Amino acid sequence: MTFILSYFILATIFSIAALSTNLLVGVIGIFSVSQAAIFGVGAYTVALLTLGQTLPFALALVAATLLCALLNMALALPSLRVAGDYFVVTSFGCQLVMTAVFINWATLTGGASGLVGIPSPSLFGLSADDSPAFLAVAGSVLAVACAGFWLLMRSPFGITIHAIRLDELAVAAAGRDVLRCKLSVSAISGAYAGAAGGLYASYLSFIDPTSFDLHVSILILTMLVVGGARTLAGSLIGPFLLLALPQALALIAIPSTIAGPVRQFIYGALLIAFMLFRPQGIAGRRL
Amino acid sequence: MSKFARPTLHGVASSLAALALAVSTAAHAQDIAIGALLPLTGPAAPVGLEEQQGVQFAVDRANAAGGIRQRKVTVLYEDSQGKPDVGVLSFNKLVDLNNVPVVMTAFSSISLAIAPLATRKKVLVINAAAQSNKLANASPYLFNTIPLVENETGAITNYLVKTLNKKTAAIVYENAAAGIDGKDDFKKSFEALGGKILAEEPVEFGQTNYRPTLLKVASVKPDLVFVVITQGHPTYVEQTAQIPNFPVGAGTTFVSPLCCYAGSAGWYQSSIKSGISPELEKEFNDKFKTKNMGFYAREYFNSTNIALKAIEHVLAKGGTLSGEAVRSAVLEIKEFGSSVTTISFAKSNTAVRGVEIQQYGTDSRKVLAVEEGK
Amino acid sequence: MLFLQLLIDGLVSGCAVGLVAISFSLIYATTRVFHVAHAGLYTLGGYIAWYASTQGLPFVLACVLGVLVTTAAGALIQRQLYETLERRAATPLVMLIASLGALAMLQNGIAILFTPNILQFPNPWRTQIVSLAGVSLSYAQILVAVAGVLVFCGLLCVSRYTQLGLRIRAVASNPFLAEITRMRPRAVYVHVMMIGSGIVALAGILVGLDQAMQPYTGILMLLTATIAVIAGGIGSLTGAFTVSIALSVLQNIALVVMPGRWSIAATFGLFILFILVKPEGLFRKR
Repeated sequence: MTFILSYFILATIFSIAALSTNLLVGVIGIFSVSQAAIFGVGAYTVALLTLGQTLPFALALVAATLLCALLNMALALPSLRVAGDYFVVTSFGCQLVMTAVFINWATLTGGASGLVGIPSPSLFGLSADDSPAFLAVAGSVLAVACAGFWLLMRSPFGITIHAIRLDELAVAAAGRDVLRCKLSVSAISGAYAGAAGGLYASYLSFIDPTSFDLHVSILILTMLVVGGARTLAGSLIGPFLLLALPQALALIAIPSTIAGPVRQFIYGALLIAFMLFRPQGIAGRRL
Repeated sequence: MSKFARPTLHGVASSLAALALAVSTAAHAQDIAIGALLPLTGPAAPVGLEEQQGVQFAVDRANAAGGIRQRKVTVLYEDSQGKPDVGVLSFNKLVDLNNVPVVMTAFSSISLAIAPLATRKKVLVINAAAQSNKLANASPYLFNTIPLVENETGAITNYLVKTLNKKTAAIVYENAAAGIDGKDDFKKSFEALGGKILAEEPVEFGQTNYRPTLLKVASVKPDLVFVVITQGHPTYVEQTAQIPNFPVGAGTTFVSPLCCYAGSAGWYQSSIKSGISPELEKEFNDKFKTKNMGFYAREYFNSTNIALKAIEHVLAKGGTLSGEAVRSAVLEIKEFGSSVTTISFAKSNTAVRGVEIQQYGTDSRKVLAVEEGK
Repeated sequence: MLFLQLLIDGLVSGCAVGLVAISFSLIYATTRVFHVAHAGLYTLGGYIAWYASTQGLPFVLACVLGVLVTTAAGALIQRQLYETLERRAATPLVMLIASLGALAMLQNGIAILFTPNILQFPNPWRTQIVSLAGVSLSYAQILVAVAGVLVFCGLLCVSRYTQLGLRIRAVASNPFLAEITRMRPRAVYVHVMMIGSGIVALAGILVGLDQAMQPYTGILMLLTATIAVIAGGIGSLTGAFTVSIALSVLQNIALVVMPGRWSIAATFGLFILFILVKPEGLFRKR
């Protein structure tokens, strides 16, 4: 039972991360491969704040959310000064720099050995030690995230950011502050990723830099592409499907010696296949 | 849109779960299943694959001899991908769905991540290759059949300072968990014996251009260069050979592949005493089409045999097969001897083993001394 | 002595980065696609040549084989993937994601076929050392430097003095006009991809010869090269090549004063600052 629950918990956490990427990449159209880095910052923040008993989980999560919102805004600034393609390199660069920081700032992050013994969340004295309780916590955060996303997409602000993706110049000409919109979306996206990271740290009780590197960013991007951009359903379907993929692959008799590269190969093939034949993903809108 | 989501999600998740359950219970009910959580992909894959061969070799031989009390042994492999979250998922799967009493593990970060789960679920976890010092006390259910970095490094540092009279050193280390641990431990031991560290230079995991690092290290003129890298050894040796008068090198078991080239002749290495009988090695090579039975294969072969022996001990006494029972069996038996090595769990969950000090020739290695473990 | 050796080593590795940079620059300036799969082709070239060498083929032939196979692969990606997407008016984001997918397939395909282990070329002459004035270089390093400079000059000549080069520059400067004046930009794109893939394959082979082969190192090499391309000014081959060399030398020399652990962070950090201050690059061409 714990196995099924752990699958659901991780899928829930990655759904929140997928929503974050959905906002940035799917809705406003800013390419990003650094979502894993922000996710990581959220994880380390919650880990450090709860390890020293400094803050209870709920407050630590809020702190992580705020910090990541600010961080993502700061990282989005270069994209606002330079046009699309330069930002690709910047995004890759940010991811690599953050990974280097996670590994090398050992006094803060525990370095390559990671942080051990992160406590489970406890609210009002009740501890979410076992899986069903944690799923409840993660699920509630996801519910809030989904509600936020849904409301955002239907608000006037939501309409503006859709328009920015389609024709930035026209929006600017219509008198809207494109810069402020992009920064706001980056902030919200960062907040989501930070929250997901915080939950991740609490659930695994152990984090290290390998969980937040470029491959994870690409995985989250694949989740978005497969599930579908700009819709709520897409951000839920993608993670649930892609996390189940390794288990499904295990049912086919692939020699375990090549199972991993085969899995990554399939992610790559999925990206291409979806871009060629179904750019809207399973339940999304055309990218 | 949300109407679309619910049936799909529900359908996909539950059918996958059902499939997984069906497949896992397909194994014969009388079989003894053990788990093996190894990094079969990702940066540690080459090592993970060798470890897998070791485990499989042990299990195949056990089955060829009639199994354990006439019951067949099967291994359920899970790929941790070198990632802690995947490791946790896979561990839970092995324990919840497949009810294994023992899990062979590898890689420090994975082992540390599953340690608290092992305690909670009372599953015996055996680590045969990871050496992070944090593994010593990670869980009462985690057993290490290999001395941790601290112990091995202490042995070679002792030799370098007391016998070889080295006073200054530089360190070249991999900027990842194992490398950083190795660097810290060497620094601690070396300085405790009065030595001085002149430079500490990191290289990235999987890097292949060591030249700038080596130049920097050579320029401070240390008595020796302590190396802690787990990949790219032949390239490292080639590039040191390019620098005239590059200082002599030294390292622990990690750097075994530095031998045996013209460029690394004269270098020193500590080696956890681990042998193999020639007959077993030949059988292994024939089976897996390899040229020799490497360190990791031997260790996992040996440690899997330990697990199987403990399981037999439990069944012989008529007990039920559970992680708790197997763990008690290991502690009761305490000493496990084989052609590979002798392992003692008398003092703690971490094996105490002899450490050899070797020196490289151009095509072979020479054992100079043996330091008994502490 | 230390500085001089570091400088020379930096010049040599800069030539390799330079090859990746000029090939990427050519492709990007002409097709406007951010072709991250270029890193996968870099790796592919190296492995094909490695495999051929281990099967007994002399190095020159193995090299040619690697270049040819990669050129074909590049043409395939352009024709079947990018062109198909372009005909459907795909956004740059879609192209980028497709390219990422191709990269993942290439790198992991190689890992499946050749294992993820670090592999070395079997040719014994590559580690032989030549010493001159206190500086030593291996044969392989010399090959990297010579090939780098020759190919760069060659590409520059092709670009300036041949019909093909003229056509490429025409299409690059105005694809729409090129289309309506019957310059057939799509055919040019394929040619450009072929040239670019061939050059990057050579880089992959020579770096692999000098150091070692690994399936996943391409991306870091590509990112360093793209920094050089952008800093040198998009569209300027000279800019890309010279900045590549400058960057490599800087990275090497910085190691003396800075802890090596922060090397990547410093490079990209500087880059981010750079494009905030001077986004059009140093050798501005457009």
